[in-house]
Amino acid sequence: MEIDREDGRTPNQLRPLACSRNILHRPHGSASWSQGDTKVLAAVYGPKPGTRKNENPEKACFEVIWKPKSGQIGKAEKEFEIILKKTIHSICVLTVNPNTTTSVIIQASNMFQCLFPLLYMMMVLYPFFYNARQPCHDLLPCAINAACAALVDAGIPMKHLAVAICCCLADSGYVVLDPNKLEEKKMTAFAYLVFPNTTLSVLPEVEGEPVEHGIITSVTHGVMSVDDYFLCVETGRAATASLSAFFRKNFQQSQGASSKAG
Amino acid sequence: MSSKVSVSPTSLIDQIVVPGDVVLDLSNMTNQTIKLGSGLRQDSDAISAMRAGKFSYSKPNKYWVESSHKRYIPRTEDHVLGIVVDYKADNFWVDIKGPQIALLPGLAFEGATRRSIPKFEVGTLLYLRVVKTNIGMNPELSGTDASGKASVFGPLKDGFMFETSTGLSRMLLSSPTCPVLEALGKKLSFEIATGLNGRVWVNAAAPRSVIIVANAIMNSETLSATQQRIMVEKLLAKISD
Repeated sequence: MEIDREDGRTPNQLRPLACSRNILHRPHGSASWSQGDTKVLAAVYGPKPGTRKNENPEKACFEVIWKPKSGQIGKAEKEFEIILKKTIHSICVLTVNPNTTTSVIIQASNMFQCLFPLLYMMMVLYPFFYNARQPCHDLLPCAINAACAALVDAGIPMKHLAVAICCCLADSGYVVLDPNKLEEKKMTAFAYLVFPNTTLSVLPEVEGEPVEHGIITSVTHGVMSVDDYFLCVETGRAATASLSAFFRKNFQQSQGASSKAG
Repeated sequence: MSSKVSVSPTSLIDQIVVPGDVVLDLSNMTNQTIKLGSGLRQDSDAISAMRAGKFSYSKPNKYWVESSHKRYIPRTEDHVLGIVVDYKADNFWVDIKGPQIALLPGLAFEGATRRSIPKFEVGTLLYLRVVKTNIGMNPELSGTDASGKASVFGPLKDGFMFETSTGLSRMLLSSPTCPVLEALGKKLSFEIATGLNGRVWVNAAAPRSVIIVANAIMNSETLSATQQRIMVEKLLAKISD
């Protein structure tokens, strides 16, 4: 019944998480988020006065710039920018600072670490050959988490946080959470899912759907049946509690460390 | 998923909250008038946090989320340090590190008439008071206090201006006097103007006093009171030989 994963994790176990905020000097908010070997750096500038053309001046405008680790900016990067922009639009309160622009810049920080160092060296030395590679899809959930942490660091008003997770479907029909790059290649289909975070509330328990049952973004690759997709969503949603708890604890520790005097 | 027994916290006051946390339930407080400060937003009966920080309460009825950032959200009656970026039609446009550029009417100075508007060049540093902040409009500033006198406001000449976070400027302006300023004031004489928008201006007779004060303030952000005093003593001991 159990799937054997190469690094010894259970199907529902996430890779080790690490997050640090306020790491860059010039941006107004910055964060780095790493899940296992995948690491992404996010920087936020803003809000600055003025919106771009064709944007609604009654709302705040967000622009996302995705910088790959190496190579030219291509269609895949543009697609990530659009996905990230729509996710940010869903979680931020757009009416607080109308007619302003906030820029979010994502920098992929760690390339796919190949198990064979020689092959890795060849990939680095032949960029023209290497540009025909698949874009680094596993960076997207990491990037969404990093962007969210950077927006919190910059003080941009938000309705709630977003937690992103990747769920994939193995040949045998089992759902596996948070695959690394090698595992992802072997899967038949995978989905990136972004959920709202688990919040603390002074409201008494109410009947009906709690807010975690919403979903913000879903990007799928490959072919899977509808039932399998809903199974992926349920498994992903169950993991949002641990991601939210990690973020909250990380934030509390950084606040405690920089204890203010007076 | 196993059924979880979740105990909703009775109160989140003085706790660290992240965006989305519901901090107040208005259905329990029907007869009170409460004032919501920065970082909170109302969603029918639930008040939730928009920013991450410490949820604070002050009697009788003020709630807000306290956090420190590199940008500033303008509030009325704040004292800020602005830099002139433009001058058009008797009005100055001043940058105060906020989401919008602020407007300073040329007549908002003591004794200013249409003929004698002060001439500030682009790049002048001014100590000003925020008069109006409305959503969607540029904030308005003034170079006088509420009664029309110049008092402490106006251009700041010489000296050195550096940028800090808003949390550090709040700490510098707290009363009783912030430990780092008290410790520096015992040995050095200097002049300081702190803007709540994260800008600090320091002036002293000797350039090295200015540098010591600026470095001490920039180092003191994450230190406790005793640590600040020790840091200042070490700094002063190093340069006095």
